[in-house]
Amino acid sequence: MAQTQTVTDTGIKELIALWEEAGATGMESIVGLNMATPCTAAVASTFADPADTATHHVGSGLELAAIDAVSHATVNTADDTITFDHVFTATGSINVAGIHVCNNDDDVTFIECCFNAVLAMENTDTLTIDGQSTIDQA
Amino acid sequence: MEKGTTKEVSGRNAFRVYATAEQRTGFCEKCGIKTEKQFYMDGERKRVRIICPNCGGQGRLIVKTYSVQPPDAPQCISFRCLYKFVMDTLFCGLLSNYHRRRVAYAGANRHKEILERYRTGEPSPKNIRQAILADVKLAIRRKKWHRHKQ
Repeated sequence: MAQTQTVTDTGIKELIALWEEAGATGMESIVGLNMATPCTAAVASTFADPADTATHHVGSGLELAAIDAVSHATVNTADDTITFDHVFTATGSINVAGIHVCNNDDDVTFIECCFNAVLAMENTDTLTIDGQSTIDQA
Repeated sequence: MEKGTTKEVSGRNAFRVYATAEQRTGFCEKCGIKTEKQFYMDGERKRVRIICPNCGGQGRLIVKTYSVQPPDAPQCISFRCLYKFVMDTLFCGLLSNYHRRRVAYAGANRHKEILERYRTGEPSPKNIRQAILADVKLAIRRKKWHRHKQ
């Protein structure tokens, strides 16, 4: 399976709620996905129900955490892109199939990404995530 | 279709996501010291990296994933537009297949010496011919590796 990544439907709903100032929160958290085989990112995925049979990691360094750096950049028009950088450090042997980028309330997934293959991490391994999402008017 | 309605937007073409994951060992490749998280500015962008506090080096690269973007939908129904879309889709499929196998191969050989391009994914194939060739070469290496394992 190819690496797949998408903004989820619930992520767009949260973004619209944020524009409306209707109690939504911005991009803040990240968590690793646990699955034995590669998953496929889907727009219908949610925080509670990630892609395929994936689940959120709850330990070994891949659990839900605050994103190290959320910033903005320019791709087509000024500041049309949100960027996020995070480093996971494994505290044991663990497989990671992808990531969820979530809101500050930790109840909505903005972005789901499933890697090219399941990454087998060993204790002290680091996984540096470099991501961005662009709202493209072009 | 009515103008000015959300019906004009389909799929996620106007909302693109790009992401890569880089897996490294937690100890500096040069001096063996445990690497640490460091924040830095890249223009206006705040970023983070893992580097050695002693020499500024990094842990040994195990594998880096590659984000393949799907082709844009055809904008017209002329033969030229449709042909381009079909070829772009074929290239996307071949490229995805190559990187899927490359990432699995590099991960499985984390303690062995393999070609750097299978760990970094660079240079990535730029056209259909290169994608087929890269995939065939990788398939031969994987076959040798499986034979060696047995």
